[in-house]
Amino acid sequence: MAVDDVSFALEPGELVGYIGPNGAGKSTTIKMLTGILVPTSGEVRVAGLVPWKQRKENGRNIGVIFGQRSQLYWDLPLVESFELLRAIYGVPRDQYRRNLDEFVQILDMGSFLRTPVRQLSLGQRMRGDFAAALLHSPKIVYLDEPTIGLDVVAKEAIREFIARINAERGATIVLTTHDLADVERLCRRIVLIDNGTLIYDGDIDRIKSEYGRFRTLVVRFCEPVERPHLDGAAVAEVEGPIARFRFDRNLQRADLLVRQASERYRVEDVSLEEPDLESIIRRIYVEGYGGRSKEDAS
Amino acid sequence: MNLAPYVEFAKKAFSREATYRIEVLMEIGSLVLRVYILRALWTALYAQNAAPTNLPLHSMITYATIAMLMSLILEVDGTRLIREKIREGTIATDLMKPISVPLYFFSDGFGQTLLHALLVIPSLLCALLLVHIDVAPPATFAAFFLAFIIGYGVNFFLNFLMNCIAFWTLETFAAQLIVRWVSDLLSGQVIPLTLFPGILGRIVFALPFAAIYSTPLLIYVGVIPPEQWAASILAQLLWLVLFAVLSSLVWRAASNRVIVQGG
Repeated sequence: MAVDDVSFALEPGELVGYIGPNGAGKSTTIKMLTGILVPTSGEVRVAGLVPWKQRKENGRNIGVIFGQRSQLYWDLPLVESFELLRAIYGVPRDQYRRNLDEFVQILDMGSFLRTPVRQLSLGQRMRGDFAAALLHSPKIVYLDEPTIGLDVVAKEAIREFIARINAERGATIVLTTHDLADVERLCRRIVLIDNGTLIYDGDIDRIKSEYGRFRTLVVRFCEPVERPHLDGAAVAEVEGPIARFRFDRNLQRADLLVRQASERYRVEDVSLEEPDLESIIRRIYVEGYGGRSKEDAS
Repeated sequence: MNLAPYVEFAKKAFSREATYRIEVLMEIGSLVLRVYILRALWTALYAQNAAPTNLPLHSMITYATIAMLMSLILEVDGTRLIREKIREGTIATDLMKPISVPLYFFSDGFGQTLLHALLVIPSLLCALLLVHIDVAPPATFAAFFLAFIIGYGVNFFLNFLMNCIAFWTLETFAAQLIVRWVSDLLSGQVIPLTLFPGILGRIVFALPFAAIYSTPLLIYVGVIPPEQWAASILAQLLWLVLFAVLSSLVWRAASNRVIVQGG
């Protein structure tokens, strides 16, 4: 079974990050939400519709973007794919014009609008795919790894576009991605699944404070120190003159540790590492949700 | 129902096909050659054997030439998109759109067909330079045309059903090839079904393949006389309805068990 007991609800206009390791069941969930996969049991409703029973009606409400699979017509110029989609969704001409003009401007597509899709770069194709999925002003948008393979500039442009669609059009967005920088930049809430089961649903801030209590103080000594020690912190790693101390932010203050270190040793430099979402999620993938209790015991 | 998207699909398929110009010209060239070879073949066969009473040599050559021109249209399998899209997983994006996916395949195939239908005219003209074929009277031609349209429908559903196998097996090429060979032989494309002897002849006429090539062609060459047109066309229509119902059942079952490959 690909997914089992994954229950969550979305508010209209919400932008939620849907994450999990490869094979966790993310795509399976998206397929059920879009109506192309029929669940063996359970209930799915999208804007009041049962997707696989009302596939066509549901199709009007949703826009879907797969980073790894284009929905554009390979042999046709980009703009002809858009025109075909206009006919498919029956978008009124003036609305189509407005949307297209806006997307061409924001996504800077003017220069390649008439280029056949097979000749576009990945970044251009991705922008085309975004416009294609949103031309009919869907209420709900599923993004399945929309920034995969893109360079940093293109990624940022896509992220900005997603934020804008969410803010200006009030579209509800489900963002599936392995790039947690996408999630950190865009979402307040994440739904985390693994092995087809839900393991976390809530604020990013909360998961960060729950899992991210441990900060790391990096101290560079003037000369190598044998068995460095600071009260209230655990030595995580010593490498030459550099030592890393892990401490619980709720129990210990960074400035006190720094003072302690400089009183005991000759210190050249200190820096503080904050846990980012990526390292937190990585720990959850590896250790499971119960990993937290191990941490508490140490 | 709003037909605008389907008209667009057909137009796009037409222009997509038209981009392969060299292929199109090659097709005309090879067709003319094949018509010429067929004429030589049947002439030689008729010289060695007693001609069947209802199919003299000129009718036979007419039959073979028109069968060849029909194949130009009927061998375009628009529904092969189904198995390509299942294999590549892109059928998912089609299923997410507010369209009837089978109708999308039909209109895409129809657009391709239209381009190939346009080729029939120059091919026919070239063929006429090489071989003499009988020109049917208007009423016969009209009956032939009607039977051809219904045959086109039967052919579409047959291809559709074959390609839908991909929903279960993901790969259908071998099955498809076998059905294509069987259907070429049993549909009357290669040889008229009237040449099948005795019980074999009765069987092949009772099979659905006969509705594709045999019925329109036998109407054209006069083997099916005007008083039997209605019955023959009705038989075709029965196959059409049967295949349509079967297709919709298969499609319903298929779309409930979509496995999109990858991702």
